[in-house]
Amino acid sequence: MHPPASLIWFFITAGISIGLFNFVYFMEFLTLFGKNTAMPREAVLLSVALSVVLIGLGAIGASFHLGHKLRAWKAIRRFHTSWLSREAVFSGAYGFTLFLYGLSYYFNLSLPIQHALGVVTFLLGWLSAFSTAMIYASNKFVLEWNTSLTVLYYLDMYLMLGSSAFLALTFHYRPEFIPAYLFLTSLFISLGLAFRIAYNVRQFLIPRPTLNEALNLAHNRPIRVLDTGSTTDNYCTTEFYYKKGKDLLGSVLPVAYILTFVVPLFLVLYSWITGNYDYLFYATAFASLVMGSFLERWCFFVEGNHVQNLFYGLYPEEGYRLRKGYMERKKTVIRL
Amino acid sequence: MPQLALVIDLNTCVGCHACATNCKEWNTQAAFGPLSDFDPYGRAPQGVWYNRIMTYEIGEFPNTQVFHLPKSCLHCQDAPCVPVCPTGASYKREQDGIVLVNYDDCIGCKLCSWACPYGCREFDEADKVMKKCTLCIDRIYDESLPPEHRKPACVLTCPAKARFFGDIEDPNSEVYRVIKERNGFVLFSDAGTNPGNHYLPRTETKVHVDEHVLKHDNPLFLEVLRRHHVGG
Repeated sequence: MHPPASLIWFFITAGISIGLFNFVYFMEFLTLFGKNTAMPREAVLLSVALSVVLIGLGAIGASFHLGHKLRAWKAIRRFHTSWLSREAVFSGAYGFTLFLYGLSYYFNLSLPIQHALGVVTFLLGWLSAFSTAMIYASNKFVLEWNTSLTVLYYLDMYLMLGSSAFLALTFHYRPEFIPAYLFLTSLFISLGLAFRIAYNVRQFLIPRPTLNEALNLAHNRPIRVLDTGSTTDNYCTTEFYYKKGKDLLGSVLPVAYILTFVVPLFLVLYSWITGNYDYLFYATAFASLVMGSFLERWCFFVEGNHVQNLFYGLYPEEGYRLRKGYMERKKTVIRL
Repeated sequence: MPQLALVIDLNTCVGCHACATNCKEWNTQAAFGPLSDFDPYGRAPQGVWYNRIMTYEIGEFPNTQVFHLPKSCLHCQDAPCVPVCPTGASYKREQDGIVLVNYDDCIGCKLCSWACPYGCREFDEADKVMKKCTLCIDRIYDESLPPEHRKPACVLTCPAKARFFGDIEDPNSEVYRVIKERNGFVLFSDAGTNPGNHYLPRTETKVHVDEHVLKHDNPLFLEVLRRHHVGG
């Protein structure tokens, strides 16, 4: 699949916005149980403002993916069937309630109002993240994406970005929480690494459909594409198959792994184990995570193979063998 | 529920691209047009086509066969492109099962094309909306046309008469009959999309001739020769 820069931009900005607010509000929420965990007023206002700006920039960036930006409001119509519609509604509502939460905090409104807005914003943020992930995970025809790992990794990515950003914040405002957030950040990055490795390994194991299956031909019948009807590329061959990306994938994926997982995990674990709490570590870890996530999301798109590529002979070979002398029915179908 | 659709005979399709060309000609100037082209006379022409013809070779040399697969929107009965559309621009008509795009509501997010396993939707970079085969809905219901012309442009133009059009759910229709009699199949039959468009499979026709028939003193053989030379 061709990676759209506008969507990758939205992943990262929404990820930092929702992830950061998640931890900022979580610490506020714990005060309801008598814990002294709240961040100073300046830190909360700064982080909420940053989250509002980022989700706004993310929405503006994502609109560049649309052919008609001014009609984007119509995306609320199919909330009952479309994950994209749900994402639009939830992320829009998240941005709005986040702004209201910021106002209620700034003007010191009563605590029930602040926390009601905070809880609603918290939930809307995660619903928005889940809906975004489901747009990809629910696509039955890109088998690489069609797995719960897509959702798990995606939600974990928001936690990784949020906890590492919050770590940098605690260094300045509540240093006593640094060890706790070093632990959480390393936990989320380790989980992310595990999900991403599982996602990559799975790609070698997924049973893939074949052109024979698409064309209702016997499974042991050799078939090859002679002509695809035009001398040049068309929408289907450029949108669903990114040749340049496929060539670069082998080089970009290791860099994405190093920047997203290895560098931040090393810095965070080093700081945690040695007790050397240095802001430079946390800033570098966060910057590396952001850059790595850009590359990781790029790889996520390029790794996706749409089954329509079968008709153009651009789909990976099927991973099954025929028993000698038998015409074996392929075990798998495209799952519903 | 009625389901208008095309049935394409892979036995007789010669891969001449007339269906694709006539489709483009009609639809670029009719109600759903234009179908934009970029650099049409240059080195890398690109544009929107509702219908594309793929050519495949099956078997191993020297026992190979070539067949052509015209592929346009299959008007699936469980169209996966419809529920994913966030605006409802992509919809399926109840009265005839045709899947259409409302260009005034389409925001150009391309998600419907991602949800289609057949690659039958194409994004128009000039109009910034998704376009697809309409089964020439502006022809088939046009009462100003003679009844025999109320068919999709691709069906009317096919020189090999490889394309049939009608309601595949109506037991009295020609398409229902040919699908039943000739084992019509659909693309990706197990994808759960339940396509409307069907294809009639290729059949290999072989005439068995015994050796003794070809002997010179066989009167039947002489009859064959006579017919051949006279051109009967």
